[in-house]
Amino acid sequence: MEANASKYQDEVYNFNGLWDVPSICGLKIVMKQDKSIIIATDLFDDNPGTSITEWNTNLAKELCDKYKIDVNQLVYIEHTPDKKTKLSFNQESFYKVQFEILNDKFANPKWEQMTKEDVDNLITE
Amino acid sequence: MKFQLIFPKWRKLEGQTTFNLPPHGAVVFAATIPDYVEVEFIDENLEEMRFDDDVEFVGISMLLTTQIKRGWAIADEYRKRGKKVIFGGISTMLHAEETMLHADAVFLGEAEGHMEQVFKDFRNGQLKKVYNHMNDLPPIEIVGPARRELYNRDLYYHKGVQMLDLFHASRGCKYSCYPCAVSYLGGRQFRPRPIDRSIEELETIDNNRLFIVDNSLAQDTQWEKDLFREMIPLKKKWCSHTIEDKPEVLDLAAQAGAWYVYQAVFDTSDYIKRRVKQYHDYGIGVEGTILLGLDNQTEDDIKRLIDFLLEIDLDLAEFTVLAPFPHTKAYNDLIKQDRIFNKNWDDYNAGQVVYQPKHMSPERLQELYQYAWDTFYKDETQEEKMFKLLKKVVSREMDDGTFRKRRPDLSKTSFGKNVKPKIA
Repeated sequence: MEANASKYQDEVYNFNGLWDVPSICGLKIVMKQDKSIIIATDLFDDNPGTSITEWNTNLAKELCDKYKIDVNQLVYIEHTPDKKTKLSFNQESFYKVQFEILNDKFANPKWEQMTKEDVDNLITE
Repeated sequence: MKFQLIFPKWRKLEGQTTFNLPPHGAVVFAATIPDYVEVEFIDENLEEMRFDDDVEFVGISMLLTTQIKRGWAIADEYRKRGKKVIFGGISTMLHAEETMLHADAVFLGEAEGHMEQVFKDFRNGQLKKVYNHMNDLPPIEIVGPARRELYNRDLYYHKGVQMLDLFHASRGCKYSCYPCAVSYLGGRQFRPRPIDRSIEELETIDNNRLFIVDNSLAQDTQWEKDLFREMIPLKKKWCSHTIEDKPEVLDLAAQAGAWYVYQAVFDTSDYIKRRVKQYHDYGIGVEGTILLGLDNQTEDDIKRLIDFLLEIDLDLAEFTVLAPFPHTKAYNDLIKQDRIFNKNWDDYNAGQVVYQPKHMSPERLQELYQYAWDTFYKDETQEEKMFKLLKKVVSREMDDGTFRKRRPDLSKTSFGKNVKPKIA
């Protein structure tokens, strides 16, 4: 993996995606006193299954349960690394995702684009 | 036991030449149905529905997103009559959850090896709501010849000329392109069929002209070369999506009957110019496929791209606007940015703008899409350019003795309907 991408990824996380298809994403979790930051990275061609965006309500819930993260302190970020093409839609992007909690499930994701600096500041502040 | 297999109709794009090719997925699926089942096939694009036929079980095979609402309506009609309906096919997988609302069962994945169980469940009154085989792809070796005998053959003629037959030599795709859902549908692994199985099937097709529908043949050079080499004695003529531009591949492809290939033209680079020339140097025609409305395109970029197409001597061009199909990166990106304003799947025909483009209004992109068609075909219509390509293939067929004359009994019909002679 490239040095730049690894900054936002400590491990490859395996999950069962849509229709139980085995899927992977990059994962970094930063625990702070007042917030828990999850960065899920889309692994594109290396991922045999569902994308993090399609599965985010389930994935975010699964990660919160597994790592005992308080949903009220959650900052959930979707990261798509640069695909190294000259096409602008393949460039790196970060989105903060906010969920509603309905019957103990995550629902209705809303995305807000962030800059890399925003993310770095969140991690280091 | 009678099973009615239906391929629903869809609204064709306005202003474009419509050709009805025999549907492929449905007859590939039909080959997996147990022998004791009698299958009746209806291509609704060319035939009327027969809701009251005496059949026990109904299958709806759906390929396109723009086809699914019609598929659901058909299912609703049958279910009102107490018939059980199962859905399968590409757009069933893309829209599985919505489709379940109109189905007794949906089949997800590839059908080979699984239909005995489905029909057994049906006969025992134990049909499952979902047959999920997305993660259980069959060995590619067991993919058998499609059941083309189910077609009402005479419908696939235009003025006595037979339309191409469709054929596939592989499944899956190792690429994961921005607007494409193939990697979700067929797995991210390229799975070529054994060459002898492909050749065996090609030999059974009573048509000299084919469309090889594989997503991309350019995924394994050795396999590609072996396939083309084995195809040479068959003397078929074919079009396909991209093939590799290595000289040895192009040479074999030409010998194997490559007629024309689809080539995505995404910029005005020398690479594209060189590639088109390379195909032409081997006698292979090129139909450019041009996707409009990507985030890196301004109005000026689109106009420049169209001028470029006229310079590089494309044989044909097909313009589409980005249609953000579910399970693609395009869809995910546009959903995140809240830019999709139309979720009427009927409109996802790649000719209608359903999202907010980055550099212009949806209306302006719609105009530029029309401008692209009009400008490219200004001096020579699509039909005239197609006729030129047809003349090339006819001349090759004459040379190798495979040419078939048009059928006189169908010379006054087009896809099953009478055509009025043009009065000069």
